[in-house]
Amino acid sequence: MFQPFGRLWKQAPLRSAYDVVIVGGGLHGLATAYYLARNHGINRVAVLEKNHIGYGSAGRNTAIVRANQRTQENIPLYDEGLKMWPQLMDELDFNLMFFNCGNLNLAHSEAALGALRLQVASAQYLGVRSEIVDRQQCKELIPQLNLSEDITYPIFGGMYHPPGGTVRHDALVWALAKGASARGVHIHQQTEVTGITVRRNRVSAVETSRGTIATHRVLNAAGPWSVLVSDMVGVRLPIHVLPIQAMVTEPLKPFLHHVISSGTYHCYAHQSLKGEVVTGAHMDPWISYGTHVTAHYIRHQAEALTELLPCLRGVKFMRQWGGLADMTPDMAPIIDGNDPIEGYYMDCGWGYFGFKSAPITGKYMAQYMATGRRPQILRPFRLQRYEENRLLGEIASPPQYGPWN
Amino acid sequence: MNRIAPSPAQRIHRRHRVSFTYGNRLLEGYRGDTVATALFANGVRIFSRSLKYHRPRGLYSLDGESSNCLMEIDGLPNMRAEQVPLRSGMQVRAQNVWGSPKRDLLGFLDAFHWAMPAGFYYRLFHKPYRLWPLFQNLIRRAAGAGTVNPDWVPGRTDELHLNADVCVVGGGPAGMHAAKAAAQSGLRVVVLEARPWLGGFYDWRTARYDQAPLFERSRSLARELEGLANVRIHTSCTATGLYGHNLVTAVQDGGPEDFFYQRYLEIRARAVVVATGCTERPLVFEHNERPGVMQPGCAHRLAHTYALLPGTSAVFSVGHDLGLEAAADLHDLGLQIVCVADCRPDGHDPQRVAALEERNIPLLKGWVAARALGRKGVEAAVLTTTDGNATRTVTCDLLAASAGLSPLTGLLSLARLPLAYHERTGFFLPTSMPEGLYAAGRLLGYDDPPAIELSGTAAGRSAAAQCGALDVGTAQEAHRQLKDRHRVMRGSKLVMAPGANAKSFVCFDEDVTVKHLRQAVSMGLDVPELAKRFTAAGTGPSQSGIPGHNLPLIMAHLRGESAGTLRPTTVRPPLKPTLLATYAGHPMDIHKKTPLHEVQERSGAVFHRVGVWKRARYFRDDPTGRDEILNVRRNVGIFDGSTLGKFRIFGPDAEKALQRVYVSDMSRVPAGKLKYSAMCTEDGCLLDDGVVTRVGENEYYFTTSTSRAGATVEWFRYHSRHEDWRYHLVNLTDALASINLAGPKAREVLARLTDADVSNEAFPFMGYRTFRLQGRVPARVLRLGFVGELSYEIHVPSSMAATVWQWLLEAGRPFGIRPFGLEAQNVLRLEKGHVIIGQESEIRTTLIDLGLGFLWDRTKTWAKTVGAPALQFAENQKGRLKLVGFQVDGTRPPLDGSIVVDGSIRGHVCTCRHSPTLEKPIGLALVHEDLAAAGSRLHLFEPGDPPEYFDAVVVPVPFYDPHGKRMKS
Amino acid sequence: MSFTITCPICGKRDLYEFRFGGEEHGPRPDYQALTPQAWCDYVHRRTHRAGPQQEWWFHRDGCGRWFTVWRDPGTNRETSCSEKRR
Repeated sequence: MFQPFGRLWKQAPLRSAYDVVIVGGGLHGLATAYYLARNHGINRVAVLEKNHIGYGSAGRNTAIVRANQRTQENIPLYDEGLKMWPQLMDELDFNLMFFNCGNLNLAHSEAALGALRLQVASAQYLGVRSEIVDRQQCKELIPQLNLSEDITYPIFGGMYHPPGGTVRHDALVWALAKGASARGVHIHQQTEVTGITVRRNRVSAVETSRGTIATHRVLNAAGPWSVLVSDMVGVRLPIHVLPIQAMVTEPLKPFLHHVISSGTYHCYAHQSLKGEVVTGAHMDPWISYGTHVTAHYIRHQAEALTELLPCLRGVKFMRQWGGLADMTPDMAPIIDGNDPIEGYYMDCGWGYFGFKSAPITGKYMAQYMATGRRPQILRPFRLQRYEENRLLGEIASPPQYGPWN
Repeated sequence: MNRIAPSPAQRIHRRHRVSFTYGNRLLEGYRGDTVATALFANGVRIFSRSLKYHRPRGLYSLDGESSNCLMEIDGLPNMRAEQVPLRSGMQVRAQNVWGSPKRDLLGFLDAFHWAMPAGFYYRLFHKPYRLWPLFQNLIRRAAGAGTVNPDWVPGRTDELHLNADVCVVGGGPAGMHAAKAAAQSGLRVVVLEARPWLGGFYDWRTARYDQAPLFERSRSLARELEGLANVRIHTSCTATGLYGHNLVTAVQDGGPEDFFYQRYLEIRARAVVVATGCTERPLVFEHNERPGVMQPGCAHRLAHTYALLPGTSAVFSVGHDLGLEAAADLHDLGLQIVCVADCRPDGHDPQRVAALEERNIPLLKGWVAARALGRKGVEAAVLTTTDGNATRTVTCDLLAASAGLSPLTGLLSLARLPLAYHERTGFFLPTSMPEGLYAAGRLLGYDDPPAIELSGTAAGRSAAAQCGALDVGTAQEAHRQLKDRHRVMRGSKLVMAPGANAKSFVCFDEDVTVKHLRQAVSMGLDVPELAKRFTAAGTGPSQSGIPGHNLPLIMAHLRGESAGTLRPTTVRPPLKPTLLATYAGHPMDIHKKTPLHEVQERSGAVFHRVGVWKRARYFRDDPTGRDEILNVRRNVGIFDGSTLGKFRIFGPDAEKALQRVYVSDMSRVPAGKLKYSAMCTEDGCLLDDGVVTRVGENEYYFTTSTSRAGATVEWFRYHSRHEDWRYHLVNLTDALASINLAGPKAREVLARLTDADVSNEAFPFMGYRTFRLQGRVPARVLRLGFVGELSYEIHVPSSMAATVWQWLLEAGRPFGIRPFGLEAQNVLRLEKGHVIIGQESEIRTTLIDLGLGFLWDRTKTWAKTVGAPALQFAENQKGRLKLVGFQVDGTRPPLDGSIVVDGSIRGHVCTCRHSPTLEKPIGLALVHEDLAAAGSRLHLFEPGDPPEYFDAVVVPVPFYDPHGKRMKS
Repeated sequence: MSFTITCPICGKRDLYEFRFGGEEHGPRPDYQALTPQAWCDYVHRRTHRAGPQQEWWFHRDGCGRWFTVWRDPGTNRETSCSEKRR
């Protein structure tokens, strides 16, 4: 019990053929691989990762999980995903540190409270716990909150979502890799996909920096790089890749017991089990494939946090990092397959919802790839919706990036 | 206090005693001391307890490389005591101890280290799941260092934004020479130095170069720099970031004479010289962090800078000539040196070897410290040969140990330069430097004073050449000289002693040992980035301070590979943890007020923020605005609509531009009349609506909604960016105020201020007129009906707005005029069924879904109107959400955001209010088209505990005055 | 504030003064016979090179002009003429 684990995932030779090749060793790719093997007995699966697993968004997100989305197209998926954590900790035999602390979203105007009420109503109607709280209740949840009228955006009320919380993101990467590998999945790090061969409108092989792999099923789970991977088969995606930044403070004794967020302040924060205040997330509204950080943002975040939680004035920022977000025009993912190319599947465009949705999407994606039939719960996320001008309503107003608003 | 005779290099002021408290003890130090040196002078040796094992920790280094010296100082947790200057009355407390640092009740945890292998918390506590929350609480309470102090009030902060030609980071000999060279070319130079003084490694050394002791040499150079008008020096100022395009950020601590507590600096420089020097590379051996184990440089500085003897009898284990120098020098200052182990078998500086011999200090070549003995402090050191074959134990109370030097490459890492292992120096250094970024000094592995200084000069000249102030030839000359003076670095490359294992700490902050790394490697987490995440090495308050360059070296060793196969982990800003208060600066509530703010305030307006504006929400005590609403319906009200976007567009292609962004046919915009139209996004969603009128040949005046005013110019120009159109667009939003005079008696009020004919015949609904008010103030008057009554939107110069407002109030007094706010306007327009963008629309609602499809002219495809194709494609689509009006059964309106349900979610309530005019709850909702026909029953769900259900029926809009008789009369 | 963009009127300024207008993807298509696919292509789909591309920027806190620059989204730096087409 007090001995360390053995090797978490095995080193395997690169075979010349696999039943399924997954591009991207992030959470969605690993989860799909895991469930392909676990639920469908498909274990001739290769996960190809250009860097090391969890190098991208999987290791850079701020680890928040919740199910209080805006629309009925999204809520069921996230709800089922949120309920998986205890079971996943058990079945993967890995402490994913699910911290069920609840999420508080602040509203700073009557209109914003109305918008939150729509989310709460949808959640409650679909059986997800979520409630509107007034400003005093906000303060009861987070006593350090500044209820003063003298801040830029005084607090009006909020939405409290008790089933949400945080999960240790890196642990999920390792646990899924361990689980997948134990069931025969091959994880190939430092293996870059350089091309996908399509014959008679059907995927036939994947070209990699280490050679060609024959396969009839490919999953594009490359996160921000999914646009470029999709280009390999000539499917252009409506995805903008934007840089997103986050930071942590030095570790402190526990004082913040919930995830707190404010859309108006472009800011959220929670205290990790380790004691650091983890806070994000600013998205710069221009295309970037570099995970740069900016001085602008660290100041913005300090301004926002010290207004909302004045006790943080005497706390120090320790580390600022950047990641990439694959943003779609309606902030909902693109999950599709066999259209227009047989055997080419996509699970991308998650923007900043990719972490909380990973295990559940992997489960359904595995079902999709194993059977070739799209599970009902994934139907709203077809790529075709953009051509049909049927955007999903996950956000109310056009996003504040790109040239379209 | 326990000080030795003053060294000429000392930085403490013995005439100024400073008293402070430590826990409940009252202690004294000198001005110039740091908190840590003052505590050391008072005999404190255990400064803190480690995070996981609660091991005693003491003074190890002096520049904040580890969390050993983190303390609560004046109410702030996690302060680096070795960097905080001592001030009178300071209150210092130990952190992370149960009891005192000396007697910590959790000290027993150290004995259970075997139970905490790498990543043990991922393996334990989660089974069975129901017990996990219990462990979770224990973990939370055990973690974290220091406690947030909610009562701490920041001292004054300052911020400084500088544009410099050359920014030199590091004020050691190389940095000073770089600054001097750049300044001699006439450039503006900014020097940032983290310590309170310039001098770097020279500052405490008495070794001589060019006749003078190094410390004197650096002080005279510093004086010279301080005398240069174009050099700006910031000391106690740590560079925290190097962002894109040479933006350096820094944080400066205010001294006793400064007006600020901390200052944030941003320096945009044309060239940056990084001369941050080196830190001592930690030597990893068993119990390498016991109090009494210290870096030789730290010991050396304690004696010279602070007049403190670091121990009584010392063993040195070094791998660099600086260690030999320190040993000989400390001997002369009164420290007994038992022996010096040097892991290098040869290659020592003969002069320094001779100096040790002169002093009868035994030098053990090829030996290294393998273990420190003693529980709460060093009592003896076990030395071993580097092959581990022979050992000996030596009694001592100080073990000065280091594995040589590591370059401080933080800033270079932030510049995203890939680091590669450099065989000659054993340093990780960038393989190439981008334009405008230069490095100099010991950081690059230069080891002797002449080379260090010359490399500074060379970098300064390169920077000057980059700025165009020096010819490239002159700049290269220095580099050529430098090449000639090149010397072989005498450092050792050994970082880990034989036998290093479970008590050999690679990261002090997170208690990560060699054993943990070995475990991580065997689990497949075999690169520094993965091992860092798994073991937490380098993620503590000092980040990569201790593990930094050791982590890849040790991991390569554990993998059985040669040094340099792995790279250090990514360094992140800020390089020194920085207070949020310092980043935030003064709180600023930046907002705009309309020219009618004060007059409305006098009328009792309650304001709230809408976008950038402060707007009047309601007047006096009624947030529902009921009386204001009824007064508009019965008499007349005035409303401040100054935030409305107001624009003039003119030029030969102005019409084309209007055709591009407005969905209607804008070729038929009349003079003297207003045309209502809308702009859409490319997806056909309502983006903005407003009215347009022609005011001259190729000249139009138009309005936009408040929220779009700021982006209108951008939008017009974006959508004509490929066209060669000539038009000018002028934003008049701030130049003109807008007052909406609305109500059945509005005409009578307006007539009192003008001679112009305002009768319904002369100035009908949707008319546009310009005339003077009271014969003086030019006004543009728009006859509109947003609130559904006879109303005039009066646009007047902002400077006259308050006067006009008063005139209207006076003229309207006999008619019962009173101001109304946003809340009243919201209900008034709701009664009229008018849409507010963002309130009744969302990104999946097209103009047609909103019932505004009639605005779209489908014939003008030649205009390539933004949004037109989307409208065409989605026009006849099934299953869309449509905007409808509804009336609620019962008396209470459901709250905004309630949803429409019938087994699934079928839509939602956008706005619902009790209408004082109609005396019933009415609202607008987006519902599935199946439910959109008038007469459809809606089932509404309002969340709550328990939720409430409402029944409603879809009714035609407008609710009020359906034929518009009132606004047209 | 970090990167800079060079405005043809105001010179090299901080990136946060500007509004990003996307990659240059040609003039608006002809609306006659425009298919939903072609429309979606124009509105939503971009090439997104990870190398130098021509982009539109608007100087919001300055002269209020739209202009194009070549920039490499991989490095976030403006690129010089010679690097424009790799």
